Amino acid sequence: MTATLTNPLRVGLRQERVISPQCLVIFGASGDLTHRKLIPALFDLFRQRRLPSEFAVLGCARRPWSDDEFRQKMEAALASKIADDPESWKTFSAGLFYEPVDLQKSDDLVRLGKRLEQIDRQRATRSNRTFYLSVSPAFYGSGCRALAAAGLLADPKRSRVVIEKPFGRDYASAQELNRVVKSCGQENQIFRIDHYLGKETVQNILVMRFANTIFEPIWNRNYIDNVQITAAETVGVEERAGYYETSGALRDMVQNHLTQMLALTAMETPGRYDPEAIRNEKAKVLQAARLADEAEPWNCCVRGQYGPGGTSSDPLAGYRQEPNVDPNSTTETYVAMKLFIDNWRWQGVPFYVRTGKRMPKRMSEVVLTFKEAPVHLFDSSGGGAPGANQLILRIQPNEGADFRFEVKAPGSGMRSRPVDMDFSYDESFGEPSDEGYVRLLADAMLGDPTLFTRSDEVEAAWRLYTPLVELIEQQPWQLPVYPYEASTWGPAASDSLLARDGLLWRRP
Amino acid sequence: MAPQLTLQAPLELPPQDVSDYLGRLWNGGEQDATSSGAATFSLLVWQPSWIEQHLVRLGRLDGPITGLEREELLQAGRQAVPACGLPLSTSPLAPELAWQLGQLPGDQASEDLRGQYVDPAISLHQPRRLITLAPSLDHHQHLETLVAAYCPLPEDGPASSVCGDVVVMRGGMEALQRGLGMVNPLIPAELPCWVWWNGTLDEAPDVFEGISQAPRRLIIDTAIGTPARALDVLSQRAAAGQAISDLNWYRLSSWRENLAMVFDHPGRRDALAHVVQLDIDVQGHQPVQGLLMAAWIANRLGWSLESSNHCEGDGISASFRRPDGVAVQLRQMPVPVGDPSTHPGSIVGLRLVCRPEHRAPLCVILCGETGGCMRLEAGGMARMELVEQVVTSTIESAQREVSRTLRGGHDSTNPLLAACVPLASRLLPR
Repeated sequence: MTATLTNPLRVGLRQERVISPQCLVIFGASGDLTHRKLIPALFDLFRQRRLPSEFAVLGCARRPWSDDEFRQKMEAALASKIADDPESWKTFSAGLFYEPVDLQKSDDLVRLGKRLEQIDRQRATRSNRTFYLSVSPAFYGSGCRALAAAGLLADPKRSRVVIEKPFGRDYASAQELNRVVKSCGQENQIFRIDHYLGKETVQNILVMRFANTIFEPIWNRNYIDNVQITAAETVGVEERAGYYETSGALRDMVQNHLTQMLALTAMETPGRYDPEAIRNEKAKVLQAARLADEAEPWNCCVRGQYGPGGTSSDPLAGYRQEPNVDPNSTTETYVAMKLFIDNWRWQGVPFYVRTGKRMPKRMSEVVLTFKEAPVHLFDSSGGGAPGANQLILRIQPNEGADFRFEVKAPGSGMRSRPVDMDFSYDESFGEPSDEGYVRLLADAMLGDPTLFTRSDEVEAAWRLYTPLVELIEQQPWQLPVYPYEASTWGPAASDSLLARDGLLWRRP
Repeated sequence: MAPQLTLQAPLELPPQDVSDYLGRLWNGGEQDATSSGAATFSLLVWQPSWIEQHLVRLGRLDGPITGLEREELLQAGRQAVPACGLPLSTSPLAPELAWQLGQLPGDQASEDLRGQYVDPAISLHQPRRLITLAPSLDHHQHLETLVAAYCPLPEDGPASSVCGDVVVMRGGMEALQRGLGMVNPLIPAELPCWVWWNGTLDEAPDVFEGISQAPRRLIIDTAIGTPARALDVLSQRAAAGQAISDLNWYRLSSWRENLAMVFDHPGRRDALAHVVQLDIDVQGHQPVQGLLMAAWIANRLGWSLESSNHCEGDGISASFRRPDGVAVQLRQMPVPVGDPSTHPGSIVGLRLVCRPEHRAPLCVILCGETGGCMRLEAGGMARMELVEQVVTSTIESAQREVSRTLRGGHDSTNPLLAACVPLASRLLPR
């Protein structure tokens, strides 16, 4: 044996809780998410021995597929995974079923109820059901109503509903959707999913902060100068133009993923590791957050849209040239903004948040920049004052953390230069992390809501961005969409946002 | 949390009436969620509690007899070890202590509530039916059958209050064996059934065979009883595809985790291909846990076993061959400890020596937090990179350990255990 890529002693050590017998019902089973994320995640759970033998997946959509057709389509989508372990697929796929269902038709719901009873008998799933709404957001409310009307949500201990993002389009619609959903079942039956919370590195923000005593004393306005949260994608809008044209980067990324990272970074210490204790603190910090200038949001927010770019051999289309995009679209593919959190811990500390498509790198990170030393005793080896310390939590890729600090540069003088202490998940742990959906699907089926968003969190997140949403809808000229070349770090106006505070975006 | 007693006083019924009574209990009323009982699982427990019965009989422990692994029982057991002339390293729950106590005269009577006290660690899983087979010291005692409905009172309100029932079969060994025929009809066929053999596998083989067959999921503890018998049962059942859990294996979790953690560091991972020596110290003369650990390491690293023998000092020495043909030596030694663990044969320390090419040898020592590792730390390591870790020992009652197994819910044998147990069995010199 030569140098090992994985640690052979690590293989199979995790023996996590097996999900209780149940049937997972996926609405929208013919869609992209099902074969790209959900079924692969379930197959991973199966191979990790986390699914019981009394388990079934019932795919539901309007297409008139049979059980076998559904299995074949899923098999085709998972071909590479199955090639590694065909025996497991054989056993797993025996628990896949399909039922053509239109959630708007009551007859279909009656038939669905009967099919579920049949599966209960066939697979001993004991009437435990998790309904996953992987459908158009327009059908979240009516889907819940239909399930409730059919009596499928009547037992809060046996039935749960998982709802994909986006949860609402704005504060008012999120409130209304919450009202509808709560009329159909109890809050503890509702699992609002944000797949960013399934990432190990996002969860690691909690562990780094609350399992180490060295961070807590300096995790506040006395020591932290500013916080930057970035989620950059290299891809364009791809096949999602229809959805993206109605959402834009603010709704697609900021209100959910980036806001969740903000909440975990800024929340107070919960009293215990408990779903409600964690979610209470997240909701509280979001309620304390605000745009840096709510009265004139254009002073604290920049929107952008990618234009053509790339090279002559590999040209990249601009957003307006993408299929199914309005050639005059003003939908933002980039947004950057400055926020404040009005509480004792964070008063006066700016939080800069940005996300964009067609960036030069795919990466997400949280960067905490500490205040500079009050007196500069040493010059930097590059000239000028030494840089500030930075803690960089890398969410993806190369998941891990960096701590940047100054050391003496070798030589006869006393000049400093920055160095990095680097922690990498890949290098430090002898096994790869699970996909976010593996963790979140398992948690939903186990009934653990810790990593799911509660109604008040969702509403607080929408409330935070309401001034922007209203401005974009009512006075879009106040918040113009600046073009930026594909594969660059966004419009120049975004750099100006930080330059006004004497800062720069971190270039990863 | 204190153990919960059944809310309803158990009803003593003639054995032949139990099945009908339970049928009426659940099907006689209206068919709501409560009246149909919890749709969870049934748990069948072999609960001899010999040491507790003897300690109570001898007046060394206050009754009633509960079958629970409570602190008073462990304390009385520890005090009885020297009184019986056993080595101080003897576990307070070791079968040899039960045998020694059995030689002493005493006839203190006490109420026997085995099967009627339900540990909260078990009740939180809301078993549909909890059947306890409770053999008495008096081999000729007639069979008593007790039945009670049982509703755990959950902290999160009545919505999750789903009832089950408990059935206790108590009597002498002969009467229990005769009554075994009534056990199978009592187990709901539509639900999974776990069998927890809470005793040594050396006793009552007919009862064991009668109740523990697949597809029932079996829970045993290879830390007690004859090592050969324990490993044989484990390997045979795992090979046959039955779901079998060994509490002794689960107690190794922190040792496996700590050893894996040492080699998570990418700079050390390569050293795993160059192991030349493995030393394991175990508490007393019960080698199974140490052998399971050695077999796990060997299996994960692809070593093949060449020989295994007894060695001086009641130890076991074995030779392996690495995939690259280099020999690896294993030496497992029993060591005396001042404060013995509840579980016989617990690992006290482990040393792994690696000799990678072109770099300094690496010596990894894992040491249990309650015992010393002086033997493993002694000599010959001056030129080695030394990594020492203290392994936290989590002492839990058997009920809590079983609760973890039930909570896991696995319906197949842990693949790591299934892979290493044949090797552990071959490591035991016969």
